[in-house]
Amino acid sequence: MEGGQAITLAALSITFLVGLSRAMILFIVTSGLSFVLGVLRVPNVAHGSLYMIGAFAAYSISTLFGGGSVGFWLALILAPLVVALVSLVAERSLFCRLYQREHLMLLLFTFALMLILGDLTKMVWGADYRSIMPPRILQGSVSVLGSPLPKYNLFLLIIGPWVAIGLWLFSTKTKMGKIARAAAVDMEMVGAIGINVSWVFAFAFVLGCLLAGLGGALVSPTISVTLGMDHDIIIEAFLIVTIGGLGNMWGAMVGSLIFGITQSFGVLFWPQFAIVFPYLAVVIILTLKPTGMLKSVW
Amino acid sequence: MFGEMIRQKQFGVSIAVFVLLLLVPLFLPRFYIYFLAVIYLTALLAMSLNLCVGHGMLFQFHHGVFYGVGAYTAGLLLAKTSVPWWIAFMAGPLAAAFAGLLIGIFCIRLNRLYFGMLQISLGSLIWAIAFRWYGLTGGDDGIHGIPIPDFIASTTSSYYFVLVVMGICLILLYLILKSPFGSTLQAIRDNPERCAAVGINVRRHQLMTIIIATFFGGAAGVLFVIVEGSIFPDLLFWVLSLEIFIMCLLGGWFTFAGPILGAAIIVSLRTFVGAYTEYWTLILGVILILLIFFMPEGIMGYNYRQLFRSRTKYASQIQME
Amino acid sequence: MLRVEDLHKSFDDFRAVNGANLSVQKGELVAVIGPNGAGKTTLFNLITGQLQPDSGKILLNDEDISKLPPHIICRKGVARSFQIANVFPRLSVFRNVQVSVLSQQRLSNKLFQSASRLAVQETNRILESVGLWDRKMDVAGSLSHGDKRILEIAIALGNEPELLILDEPTAGMSPEETATTMALIQRLAADQGLTILFCEHDMEVVFGTAQSIMVMQQGQTIVQAKPEAVRQNSEVQQAYLGGE
Repeated sequence: MEGGQAITLAALSITFLVGLSRAMILFIVTSGLSFVLGVLRVPNVAHGSLYMIGAFAAYSISTLFGGGSVGFWLALILAPLVVALVSLVAERSLFCRLYQREHLMLLLFTFALMLILGDLTKMVWGADYRSIMPPRILQGSVSVLGSPLPKYNLFLLIIGPWVAIGLWLFSTKTKMGKIARAAAVDMEMVGAIGINVSWVFAFAFVLGCLLAGLGGALVSPTISVTLGMDHDIIIEAFLIVTIGGLGNMWGAMVGSLIFGITQSFGVLFWPQFAIVFPYLAVVIILTLKPTGMLKSVW
Repeated sequence: MFGEMIRQKQFGVSIAVFVLLLLVPLFLPRFYIYFLAVIYLTALLAMSLNLCVGHGMLFQFHHGVFYGVGAYTAGLLLAKTSVPWWIAFMAGPLAAAFAGLLIGIFCIRLNRLYFGMLQISLGSLIWAIAFRWYGLTGGDDGIHGIPIPDFIASTTSSYYFVLVVMGICLILLYLILKSPFGSTLQAIRDNPERCAAVGINVRRHQLMTIIIATFFGGAAGVLFVIVEGSIFPDLLFWVLSLEIFIMCLLGGWFTFAGPILGAAIIVSLRTFVGAYTEYWTLILGVILILLIFFMPEGIMGYNYRQLFRSRTKYASQIQME
Repeated sequence: MLRVEDLHKSFDDFRAVNGANLSVQKGELVAVIGPNGAGKTTLFNLITGQLQPDSGKILLNDEDISKLPPHIICRKGVARSFQIANVFPRLSVFRNVQVSVLSQQRLSNKLFQSASRLAVQETNRILESVGLWDRKMDVAGSLSHGDKRILEIAIALGNEPELLILDEPTAGMSPEETATTMALIQRLAADQGLTILFCEHDMEVVFGTAQSIMVMQQGQTIVQAKPEAVRQNSEVQQAYLGGE
């Protein structure tokens, strides 16, 4: 237990809430991954790179507008759009030409995209650490059972469920969402009723990447933004969609909660190997249920 | 079983190449001797991966982990204990094969891409442990100056050692591929469902393949320790795994010797282009995209049709016997 | 030899097999008929373990095999062909059959013997008996559709089965190919004492060859009887033969 805090009820509840807010970020990122997975049937390995670009873009935008509250809120809106634009370019210029090819080639393309985007990020932003201040209204902390919880984490706890609800409404109530869901179940059918499958793919891909960018922008005030973020998140995101059930949005939610909370408690109990706890949870879940907790769309 | 191998036309060529490589250190400067040794061990690594990928269609996305486990096992035993060198050398591949078994048991129940994703994840766990456990592994610095036994300590002697070990491993891999095990593996690649229906335990066969491949991957890791004298977490990192995967693809993944060619190209590029630019992964990414679009069967795969033809000829030889 | 009792299997809400019964005696040539979507292929997949039934029994020589995986069922002497041509496209015709012979002889896991010397005679014998001998060096993917279907049967024969299950062996074949294939199947049954269970669309073929016919409709067994009895069964005539 050395290095850990004293374990009190307050510490436990703070740990739980911090884990929960971490889970919200993870959910936003992995729901995007899961969405792409569901429609295109390809795990987008470059998803983590887009998340990283989202964080860097948020930094640049907020600095451009003087680093204050206005800059932050603008960054939150514009950074995901920047990421969406990047993904749209990649999709329309190269990726869309591979849809007729074997599956492995699609996957390898996303690998290549990850390698390239990683180095492009290095070219544009360099290898330094960057940090962003949250806007004044979200600075400081509130008291939970006498222990401080950063207001920003509270903000994440509020925003996460809204994103989930938004996604759910989108996929069940809008025409585009329904098409995307139908495509996830039976692509040929969607093509047969005269919908341009290539554009459905493009749309799904860009929306998924937009969520990665949103996750990156949201996470930026809580960590130092740096190269290598992409690798960390993509592994976690893969594990989350694997334990949740591939392509299942609620699975991404459940997986994110498990991951965020075990990680947070890991930090409390054994900081050096905190990273191991969520992996252990994953191994246990997959031993019991190899195809994930919720029904995968595959 | 050797007889048939010796009768192959390529065998004579291979022997000639091997003899030539034995003579090479007499002419080349030291850096190039070292450089060739790195190519050999990387080639072995790529060949071991190709057993899974090209011949078994198993998406072994994190093969680098087993290379790293082999290297770390041998390196740690040499640096931190006083066990004889040969035990350390043998422990490397065995530990890698054991890791292959453990990770394989989890992954094998899943299909294709799922398999690959889970493997990346579990492999990354091993990476994370090596990265964080400063007391044992030296954390992100790794361990340098590992004591190598005297008889292979010099560049030239390690060159010969690597060459001979690689040669033996390649012969073994070749024999495995031509064995009933190998034919069955290729049949599983083509059609796993049909294989199950002719009485083959597909999962067990695939698990065996992973164990064999990871064993040879671990052997390549031990060779790395001999050549470099150091270990570090990048050996376990999945970008390296991706590099190996690209080697198989580049050389031609349905061919036997393709990965050797792929390894030679990628290692050369990394050494010579990497010296001029820090954007090595960008170049790797571009190579991969070019491969996907223009040469999905790899350089040697261009001779794919010929491969079929020679296989047809090969089969007719059997008939005549 | 094989007995299927009250078998059920549904996919989500669709009841693919809904109370199937079947009995196959040793040495018999049994056909399963029924309209498209009657559950014939699902029934075969259940018997050979590709699918697991929801309920019901599959007895092979009085042993329940309904929970076993495909490779174990195969080792108990049940081999099959598939409805879509299901061969190993990148391997030679010879290798295609050899793989199953190797499996039958429990040699699949041999690591350091040369495959090209093992099981050669048996493989050649099978290729000869089905008439693919002269195509044996060709890559399986390059065969014509009809030859692929024959190759499928050859692969199944590599397992030296007691019971051979053929899922629409003549689907997509020309009339001549159909005739040759059926003759081949009858010859195999006669020469090697094989028990064969097959399903088929072509009524002429079925009534011309089968010794016993089971009729399925909407996943359910209507009747199993001798061809003449099936022909005269009013329920069958109404449901399936359209009152011919």
